[in-house]
Order: sequence, then C-alpha cells, then structure tokens
Amino acid sequence: MAQSKGTVVLAYSGGLDTSCILVWLKEQGYDVVAYLANIGQKEDFEAARKKALALGAKKVYIEDVSREFVEQFIWPAVQANALYEDRYLLGTALARPCIARRLVEIAQREGAQHVAHGATGKGNDQVRFELSCYALCPKIKKHGIPVPVTPKTPWSMDENLMHISYEAGILENPKNQAPPGLYTKTCDPANSPDTPDVLEIQFERGVPVKVTNTGDGATRSSALELFVYLNDIAGKHGVGRIDIVENRFVGMKSRGIYETPAGTILYHAHLDIEAFTMDREVRKIKQGLSLKFSELVYNGFWHSPECEFLRECIGHSQEPVEGTVRLSVFKGHVYILGRESPRSLYNEELVSMNVQGDYEPADATGFININSLRLKEYHRLQSKVTVKQDE
Amino acid sequence: MAQSKGTVVLAYSGGLDTSCILVWLKEQGYDVVAYLANIGQKEDFEAARKKALALGAKKVYIEDVSREFVEQFIWPAVQANALYEDRYLLGTALARPCIARRLVEIAQREGAQHVAHGATGKGNDQVRFELSCYALCPKIKVVAPWRLPEFYQCFPGRRELMDYAKKHGIPVPVTPKTPWSMDENLMHISYEAGILENPKNQAPPGLYTKTCDPANSPDTPDVLEIQFERGVPVKVTNTGDGATRSSALELFVYLNDIAGKHGVGRIDIVENRFVGMKSRGIYETPAGTILYHAHLDIEAFTMDREVRKIKQGLSLKFSELVYNGFWHSPECEFLRECIGHSQEPVEGTVRLSVFKGHVYILGRESPRSLYNEELVSMNVQGDYEPADATGFININSLRLKEYHRLQSKVTVKQDE
Repeated sequence: MAQSKGTVVLAYSGGLDTSCILVWLKEQGYDVVAYLANIGQKEDFEAARKKALALGAKKVYIEDVSREFVEQFIWPAVQANALYEDRYLLGTALARPCIARRLVEIAQREGAQHVAHGATGKGNDQVRFELSCYALCPKIKKHGIPVPVTPKTPWSMDENLMHISYEAGILENPKNQAPPGLYTKTCDPANSPDTPDVLEIQFERGVPVKVTNTGDGATRSSALELFVYLNDIAGKHGVGRIDIVENRFVGMKSRGIYETPAGTILYHAHLDIEAFTMDREVRKIKQGLSLKFSELVYNGFWHSPECEFLRECIGHSQEPVEGTVRLSVFKGHVYILGRESPRSLYNEELVSMNVQGDYEPADATGFININSLRLKEYHRLQSKVTVKQDE
Repeated sequence: MAQSKGTVVLAYSGGLDTSCILVWLKEQGYDVVAYLANIGQKEDFEAARKKALALGAKKVYIEDVSREFVEQFIWPAVQANALYEDRYLLGTALARPCIARRLVEIAQREGAQHVAHGATGKGNDQVRFELSCYALCPKIKVVAPWRLPEFYQCFPGRRELMDYAKKHGIPVPVTPKTPWSMDENLMHISYEAGILENPKNQAPPGLYTKTCDPANSPDTPDVLEIQFERGVPVKVTNTGDGATRSSALELFVYLNDIAGKHGVGRIDIVENRFVGMKSRGIYETPAGTILYHAHLDIEAFTMDREVRKIKQGLSLKFSELVYNGFWHSPECEFLRECIGHSQEPVEGTVRLSVFKGHVYILGRESPRSLYNEELVSMNVQGDYEPADATGFININSLRLKEYHRLQSKVTVKQDE
C-alpha cells in the first residue's frame, strides 16, 4: 500500500454519497475518520456507525449537536426573524456552521490536516461548509471529490431538527407541483386535526423560554425540548410548507420545497412579541440588519466577523423582547390571538379612543404641517416649472 | 345667520361621525359639499346621498374610485411586495391618497378653500389625508373636527354623538354599534379600538366579516393560475371550474371572493403608528394576501438576484412611506418609478392553492425566467465548471482566514 496521505475527517451522513466517498478516500490513501453529526435528523446512528467502520473508517465520531444547534444557531435566527428572500427560514444554512465547527474540532483533535464533505459542486452547502472550516481553521485542507454524484431520484433531501428540504430530480422542473408522498415532516393540512392547538409561548431576550399548551396544559421549558414539541404540534397541523425558487450564492436559481414546522411558529410568535415591546425606530434599523444577517447565513458566512457583529447587534436589540404570545395552530396556518408583556411599549390609555390620555390632538396639527412643508414646497416648484414650460 | 365661511368639501362616509360633522360644519357657517368615495366598501350609496342632502349638504358627490384604487394604488403595492413591519398589507394606507386626490379635485372644481375629514386626532389617517391634500393643493385649508377642542370636547363619547344626532334629525343607526371601530375598502377591512384595545384579548366571535372562518371553509381547495405582466396580475384562471377574469378590478374582486371563501388573509397585530404610539389592529386582506404570495414567487423566478436585493430595500422604504401617508410625495413617486422599472421582466404564471386560511404555491412558469434547469441540474453538468466553485470559495474565504490569523496573533500577544 502507498504511504498514507494523512488523516481526513469526513462529514459523513450515512447515505450513499458519503459512503462512496469514504471508500474512495481510503483508495486514495487517506486514513478516514468519519464524523456523523446528530443534528436532529431521523437516522439509525448506531447502524451508521457500524457501516462506517465496516467501510474502513479508522474511527467514527457520532456527535449530538442538537442542543447547540437550537441554542446557538436557531435562537439567533429567531431573534433576527431571519428569512431569505422573504420566504426561506434557513434550516439547512443554519445547520452547516454547527456541523462544520465540530468537524474542525475533531480534525484538530485527530491531528488531521484534511476535511472532506459530500456537498455537490453546484450547491450552497459546499460554500457553507468550507467557509466555516477556513474561518475556524485557515490551514485546513479540503479534499475535493471528483466522484460523480448519484442521480437524485426522484429528489434529494436534507434533514435536521429545524427542517427538511427537497430539491433536484423531478423537482427541477419549477412548473410541476410537489408529487404526492413528498412531504415527511408535516401532515397534509387536508387531513390535519379539525380543532386547533392553542399555545402560549413565553419569550425572554427574544428567545422562547417556555411553551404551554392551553388545551392540555403540557409545558416545555428547555430550548431543545420546547423546539421538538413545537415541531410536533406544527407538524400535526401541517404548518410550515413552502415551495419556492431561490437564488443560490453560486449564481443560479434553484427550486426547493421545505418543511419548517417549529421555525414557522416561532417566526410569527417572535414577530409579534417584538412588535409589542420594541421601539419603532430600533425595529426599523434592526430589520435592515436582519436582512443582511439572513443573506450572510444563506451564503455561508456564519463564522465571519460581519456575521458575529450582526449577531451582537441583533442580540442587543432583543433585550426588552419579553412576554407571552398566545397563538392558534390550525390547518397549515399560525394565527396570533393576543400577547402580554411587562416590558411592552403599548400604552392602552394613550391609544384609546375613549379617553384622551397624555395626548394633545393639536400637536398632530403641528406634526402634519411640519411634515407637509416639504411637500408644499415641491408642489410650488412643480407648478412654477410647469408655468415656465407653458410660456 | 353669520356670513358664510365659504365652501368645505367633507370626506363623507355615511356614518354617524361624519354625519354629525356635516351638520356641525353647517352650524359653523360653512357651505358643505359632501363627497363619498366608493372605494369598494359595502354601503348603500344612494341612501347615503339622500341622507347627506337631508342633512343640509349643498351638493353630494359619490365617486366610484374602485378601478383607480386597484390599478393606481394596489397594483404598485403588489409590485413592491409592500408590507409594513413584516405583516400589514397597507389596505387603509393605500386608500387614503386615492380618496384624497378626488377630494382635492372636487374642492378645486367647487372653488372650495376648505376640505374636512372625520379622522381622529390620534390616528394615522388624519396624517394620510392631510399630507395628500397639502401635497396636491398646498393652499388648501383643512378642517379636522376631531382635533378642534370646540368639537371634540362636545363629544367625549359615542353617546354624545348619538344625542347630537337625535337633536339634529340625523338618522341614528338602529343596530347597536360593534364594540370596535372598522374601516373597509375593496382591499381590506380593519378592526381597531374599543375592546380590541386590550392586546391580550383575542378577537371576539363574530368580528370577522370579509373572510370565512377557516374552521368552516371548504374542505377542498381552489387552485388558481395567476398570470402576471410587468409585475401585476393580468389574468386569473380557476383550474377547477375554468372561470377567468382579465380586467384589474374584476380579477381583484374575484380573488377577494376566493380568498374570503377559504378564510385567507386574517392577521392580528400590534403596529407602530406614525404619530408615535403602538396600536392593536385586526385585518382581513383576502385578495391582497393571495397576490402577495403569488407576486413574490413570480418575481423570484424572473428577477436577477442582486436587483431583487436592492429592490427589496426600496420596497421596505416604500411601505413605510405609504403607511405614514407620503404616497403623494417626491420620494414615493421616485420609489414607484424605481420599483416599477424593476418589474419589467416580472411576467409569467403562478399556480397556487387556497385552502383553510393558507396560500400554497404549487408551481410557476415564465418566458422570461432566469431559471436554467440544465445549469442547476444534478443530472447533467450543463454550462458549469465545479472547479470554479473551488476558486470562488477560496477567494471568499481569504478575508476570513486573515481575520482568524489576526485573532490568533492578538490572543498569542495577550498570553505573553
């Protein structure tokens, strides 16, 4: 046998692609350490461990990163109301930096100079994995895999605790709708329960800290448990399905179908408690930052100075975002029912039509007049220009 | 009688408030011209005309502005994916500049120096009406009774309005008023004030009037195809029964019917008013909700990625301007131009399903799409070189590596 090329840590999924890659890397002369991240996907992890060892992995790491995925990646996205191109809740994009961080740690622990992954050459994930790896460990070497990718029939899936994505194969025709049997994480709203679940979600610093089901009194208080619970409830009612065409970072448009159950509930709940507690102008600025944050996450720049900076800023904006939102989950939709907060800027007396409160209507006259001054001047000039033109 | 103060054109709604205001303006010495805009609300317009005349209006204008509301106000909002604070589709905010434009035209036609409205002193609508009026006719004088102590101190509550109405022969509504306030037009209905002022309480039963309760909506969806040109809908087809609509107003009304039938478009929010306080509002925006999702989809399919990013930022600003009442302003006109320009390639057809309160995009096609099936396909290489991705990633990571290098250097220095 040729001299070993050193150790490579392979981000192993247990599937056909990365199993082929594992064997191919061995053939190339590497010692292969397989790393399978448990990030909430449905997987038989022990069977995968055995498979990797049987295929010749020197060592297999199975790392449960679910809790840190929720607390360190999903929670900041909730705080940001993170949404890419107005629709995509970033389920895969948030997972990559979490997986990659552990990948690099293992490489360092094993003294490996190489990492490898099974992401395709046309996708976002190769960029997300590698930018994370290089940001955390500049000297790491990526091993490129010129192995033809197995055909995606009828489509390709990526799953984690937050979502499942469906792409490629027959979905590549953007005109065709999702075939029957595609969805796996949520119930078809046509068959979902005929009575809603009404939940109360309590927030502190912009992240959920407790979920209560007002129907049966069930509660969850830890991040991971409450997220899993929200996935169950949302899934049961068919919440979180989208079918979109998006712009990839590598330049082309691609069609994807996603199920993001808990993330969809939290998106709506957080929007509500934030609107209730946050100053209007802070919200405006923060909204712009969140837009940028979402793009950075999508493109793979989680581990970057600018994204860290945005997380700091956004996190800072969330200090007053506390309170409880009551909502209903029914037939694919989330309905906000009401909200309360000890930190709310909502002032019932001030807004009331029944009492004047600490408000002087005459002030509105001045406010309107000052705001209209500029518009009047503009009109004055427009008329002057028009008169001149008529001369 | 005191000398006439001149003519005032009152934005008349037919309701109790503006009926009292009509009479009050007369008492103050104005000649009152009543202008009732038909902007798609449910109203008995001829009864309102008779009522205004009976109350002493010198003249009554009933202007059907529905078509221009759709084509000149709602369509630009659709092009913009206009949304205030991520949730509100701007139904009332879009109507005010439409109503105000006609109000000013009538004032000019009547030689009136004054206009009046019944918007309250704590709300957005007073600002929206008046900024529009001043922008279109700087010399106009506005009478806003709800900001005049000599008016509002007489009417601390609805009871006083009712008493005044009875005293002056104003027909009072027989049915008791809802414990909240409503504003309705073709695009939406809003519910605010009254018992809704407590943000903790959910919408009481019987509140919603424009959409069916999703719990009772049909058990089979309607599947529609919406065809867009230049970012606005030009045709709606129901794939189930083959019904089609091709004119702006008709297709918008049809979408309202379909969406309403399936309970689509309900939101319950707290929003930030332009005058500064937060307020709780409930809205039903049926057709607008369908069009929001459909347009997002056809736009993503046809628009360049970076143009979309820029346009998205402009749309955010546009939505704030509309919400605050700056429709008729140089900056808003500028944004409409820019946004309109971005929509040139946004054409094609979106297929969607409407079911139990939700809109589902099923698929889309376009002769102008930037989507390239061969380029993205996992089954063929297409005009793509995977090695390029390596270079792309390496260049993008250079800056991150440098940052890490410095971080390590700083850390090492700190450890020394």
